[in-house]
Order: sequence, then structure tokens, then C-alpha cells
Amino acid sequence: MMTSTATLASGTPKKAIDSLMLRYLVLIGLIVIASVGFSIANENFYSLTNIGILLRSIAVLFLLAMGMTFIMLTGGIDLSIGSNVAFSGAVGVLTLVTTGSAALGFATSILAGMLIGGINGFFIGRLKLSPFMVSLATYALARGLALVLYDANSINVDNAAFLWLGGVSWGNMPVVIPFVALVFIALSVLLYQTPFGRDVYAAGANANTAFVLGRRPERTLVWVYVLSGALAGLSAIITVGRVSSGQPWAGLYLEFDAITAVILGGTSLFGGRGKLLGTILGVLLYGIIINGLVLTGTNPYLQSLIKGLILLGVVLLDTLTQKGKAA
Amino acid sequence: MKLKTMTAGLALATAFGAGAALAADDTLDIVFINDGHVAPYHVAWLTGFEDAIAAYDKAFEDVKVSGRWLSAEGSLEKMIQQTEVTINERPDVMFVNAINVDAFEPLVAKAQAEGITWIAVHSPMESADYSFTLGDVANGTNQGMAMCALSKGEPFKVGVMLGQAGNPSGEARREGILKGIATCDNVEVVAEQPADWDTVKAQTIAENWFTQYPDLNAISGVTDAYMYPSIAIATNAGNTDIQFYGYDGDIPIIQQMESGQVMADILLSGTREGWNFVQMAYRIHKGETPEKVYDFFTPLVLTEENHKIALEHGFPEDVQVYYVPQALEVAAKGYLEFGPDSVK
Repeated sequence: MMTSTATLASGTPKKAIDSLMLRYLVLIGLIVIASVGFSIANENFYSLTNIGILLRSIAVLFLLAMGMTFIMLTGGIDLSIGSNVAFSGAVGVLTLVTTGSAALGFATSILAGMLIGGINGFFIGRLKLSPFMVSLATYALARGLALVLYDANSINVDNAAFLWLGGVSWGNMPVVIPFVALVFIALSVLLYQTPFGRDVYAAGANANTAFVLGRRPERTLVWVYVLSGALAGLSAIITVGRVSSGQPWAGLYLEFDAITAVILGGTSLFGGRGKLLGTILGVLLYGIIINGLVLTGTNPYLQSLIKGLILLGVVLLDTLTQKGKAA
Repeated sequence: MKLKTMTAGLALATAFGAGAALAADDTLDIVFINDGHVAPYHVAWLTGFEDAIAAYDKAFEDVKVSGRWLSAEGSLEKMIQQTEVTINERPDVMFVNAINVDAFEPLVAKAQAEGITWIAVHSPMESADYSFTLGDVANGTNQGMAMCALSKGEPFKVGVMLGQAGNPSGEARREGILKGIATCDNVEVVAEQPADWDTVKAQTIAENWFTQYPDLNAISGVTDAYMYPSIAIATNAGNTDIQFYGYDGDIPIIQQMESGQVMADILLSGTREGWNFVQMAYRIHKGETPEKVYDFFTPLVLTEENHKIALEHGFPEDVQVYYVPQALEVAAKGYLEFGPDSVK
């Protein structure tokens, strides 16, 4: 099965798998180097408390980046996910405040996220508009809706059930981490073990060929964006739990962090190539760097520079690897 | 290789810094978490903070004063993460300019449980140990009243550029400006528009206003960051009659008062504020108890000539006004008011 997806991606299964494996080894190496370096610089880095903080801080990014991976595998992009976190959070929190039901709050938050994703999917999949332009529009639309719904003010939340996922820890382990792991497993099954997953790769590798083969890529695109929206809705629930309030400016710039992590993880910007494992490693590396730079008190002006250099370095490495394989 | 070198360098530099810190008996570690770091006000603010840390450390041999600042770059999630990491580091004092105070309530308790003094910046928090506030409503009112007086009773149209929707400080400034303008009936607010503290958005808004309202008399803003592009657009268009009413006390904006384009400003001054942070932290460290809600002293800035005109047109005499030379000196030299000498 993996052979078939890889074949669609590059036409040479072994090469595609090898280059991704190499990318993962590089990422793991970078994670180890960064962890050791930051641990030497500040012993707090490897404290259980800090590891808990680190994992909690990237939980939302894990979810959003996994959704972004599906989208980028189809050759698309979704700039609206950060705004969607704010919008779906607003719907969930207002439902909770109005009805007092955490279950309804959860459901409406996820449905609201899926609605924005559905709008993206319809325009991109059915009307064949540019993913960049469509999601740029919904980026503004969702943020605007959030601001209107919240009347630009935050809303405090004290419902223990609603706050549980984002706010509670078992010792130093935030409960959201096992939850994210479950989502990762479920999405891995969806991507690697189902016809839908094969359609995702096919749509990104060559949509025309996929169409000829009866894959219905336009329908796949709609569902990929709906899935990403649902993950934004889940992220909103976690965010509300983390800050005990609904926030109109939640999720700002998270789309860029998610895209960065997905690219770090080896998913091609042009679609058809990449895996969720790479995204997980990308998010982890990104989170470790951010956490470590804060812990070491690195000047924020320098932080941007370092993040940019690392991303540039990985992209360069990727290009060199691809060229090496091609030769 | 680059990353390895960088990481090793980072580790060595930090280890060296930590070694130096061991030399002092008493330590005061201050962390300032801000919402941004690139606006002119932020740059002055953070520079003032860094300079003050160095000056206090040098001035007091019995206390090792150290500090650092972090920027959330406008992201709530990033600020939460930075705050959590910082609490785990257990500094003595944290200044947090929260993007939204409600989101930080759970963290205040965590910080206090670790023995950290939490100082809420600009937007007061009941749960915080202290709140460092700007008196935004009063300042805005002074700006609005100055506009009333300097318009001399003539029909006067103004556009007001606002902060980010929902930001408490921006909302308070808006409330104050409109309250001040409401003290006279000749000034009409023809447009209000949030520019999200963003200079580029301010530029677009100013361009639109100049086209839409050719008889616009003034632009008022809740930050001097909006003044730079607005003044530039007006100047390039040859429109030298339009007046500007700023807020922040940025030195380049105060300097433009003498040319007559900028009529009034509120002297926060990032440099002063950075120095005041360190002074406040030092005072707390030495056992003093500042007021729970500490109001940063922020006078109105006018030229001497405009102050006279304003007074003749009903501007209240009890509003504290700095003239341009005094404001420039204080804005540039935070240590004049809040340096180590102020607490010796």
C-alpha cells in the first residue's frame, strides 16, 4: 500500500522512502543535538516540569500541523486554521455559556471548525479556486466572525468538563498529550490504511491522473479541508482549557507555525509526498527550539534569526538530498 | 554543522553568564514578557529596560541585578508558553504585558506559588501583586481636550485611529480621547478605525481618510506608531495644515511639535517606562510596597506657545504639561527619574 502512494509521489518507491527516512533521521539528530545543547545551557530544560510545559505548548500545534499535512499532501495550503481556532472556540464557548452543556460546547466547536473547513473545501475542491486565495479569505472571515461573536472581549469559562482537556495534568503529563497521540494513531490509520488516504496522496501527486483513475480528487479535497477544520475545532477546545477563557485573538499566526513544522517534517509543498511521522518530528523540533531559546534567555531578535536559519538549513538539506538521489 | 556550532556557542555563553551570576550574594532577577518588540515604542521600552538592568547592577554591589525580556510577537499562545517556561525558571519579578488578562489568570496563581512577584503591565489585574498602569483614560481625555482647545472653537473634523479590538489599553485610550473631545461641540469625529497597533495598516487608513475626507483637520491616534506614516503621507501630499495628536511620547514625534504638525502627545516614553520597571522591581526587592495599582506618571506634551493658546481656549490649568525640551530630555534619559540615584 505504501508502495502505491510512494509511486504516485515520485515514481520511484525506494527513493521516496529513503529520502523521507533520511529526513526523519536528520530531524531526530537535530532534536537530540538541540536537547543536549539546551540541557547543557540550562538544566531546567530536561526537568519533568519543563517537558510537561513543552508538550502542552505544542499540543495544539500537533493537531493543526497534522491537519495541514493532509492538506499539503494534496498540494494545498490552509491559512485559515489559526483564525478558525478563534472562531470555533467562540462558537463552543458561547454554546457552553448559553446551554451549560460541555458536550454541546465540544460538538458545536468542532462543527464550527468543520464549517470553515467545508467552505475552504467547497471553493478549492469543487470550484477549483486557489487554496492560498480561498484560505486567505477565510483567514479574515473566521477572525472577523470570532471578533463579532466575542464582541472583541474574552469570555471566562469555569466549566470543569470543558476545561479538562486543555487544563488538566496527570503529574507533569498534560492529559492532552495522550489525546493527541490517539488522534495521531487515528489519522495514521486514515491516511495509510484506507482508500481515502490513498486518494489524498493521489490528489497531490497528480490530480488529473487521479481523476482518470476514478479517484474523485475534488471530493477528497473537500473532506481534507473539513478534516483540518475539525482539528482546528478540537484545538480551540484545548486552547480554551489552557487559558480558562474564550479568546478572540487565539490562534494568531499558528498557521505559519503549522506550515513550518510540516515543511520541517518533509512534506512537499507540491503535494504527494510526506508522512504524519515527519510532521510530529517537525513539531517536536520546532517546540524544542522555541522552548530552549526562551529558557536560555536568547535575545528575541536573535531567536527569529535562529529559527529562520534552521528552517533554511533543513530546506537546503532537503534539496541537496533530492538532487543527490536524482543523480 | 551550523546548528551544532550555534548550540554549543549558546550553551557556552549561558554557562559563562551563569558562572558570573554566582559571584553576588543577593540576586534580583527580572523578566519582562511583552506582546511585541519591533514597534518604535517597544524598541525604546526594551532598550530602556536593558540599560536600567545594567545600570542598577553596576550601581549596587550588594545585589546582582539581572534580567531579560521576551516577545510574544502578538501571539497569545506564544505568550502563554513563554510565561509558563519563565515561571519554571523562578525569577524574582515578572512584568507581563498580557495580550488578554483573562487568559493569564491561571498563571498568576502558579507564579505566586513559586514566590514570584507578578506585575501586570498596562491592563490591571486584581490577582496580580501589582499593576503598572498608564492612566489611559485620563491621558486620552487630556489629548481630546487639547484638541478641543487648539481648534479654537472652529468647526473641526478628526479621524481617530484605534488599537486592536478588545485590547483593554487601546479601549481605554479610545474612551479617554472621545471623552475629551466631547467636552466641546465644535470637534466632529468623522471616522474611527482600528489599526491593530500596526504602522502599515495605519498608512492604509490614513491614505483612505485623506481621500474620503479632503476637509479633515486632524488625525488622532492611540499610539505614535500611527503618526509616522500619517505624517509622511500628509507631507508628501503637500498637506501641511492637518494636525496630529499622538500618544506614546516617541522622541521623533515630539521633535515634530516644533514644526507645528504634531500638536500634542502623551509622554509615556518607552525608555522611561523600561527604567521605571527596574526601579519598581528594585524597590519591591528592598522591601518597599508600591501602591497595588501603580500609575506611571505620563504628562501631556505641548509646545509652550500651544499651551498658552490652549489655556486661552478653556484648557484646564491643572493638567500637567511638559514643554518639548523638557519632554525630550526626560524621554531620552530614563535614568533622570528612575535610575539608581532615585532609590539610593
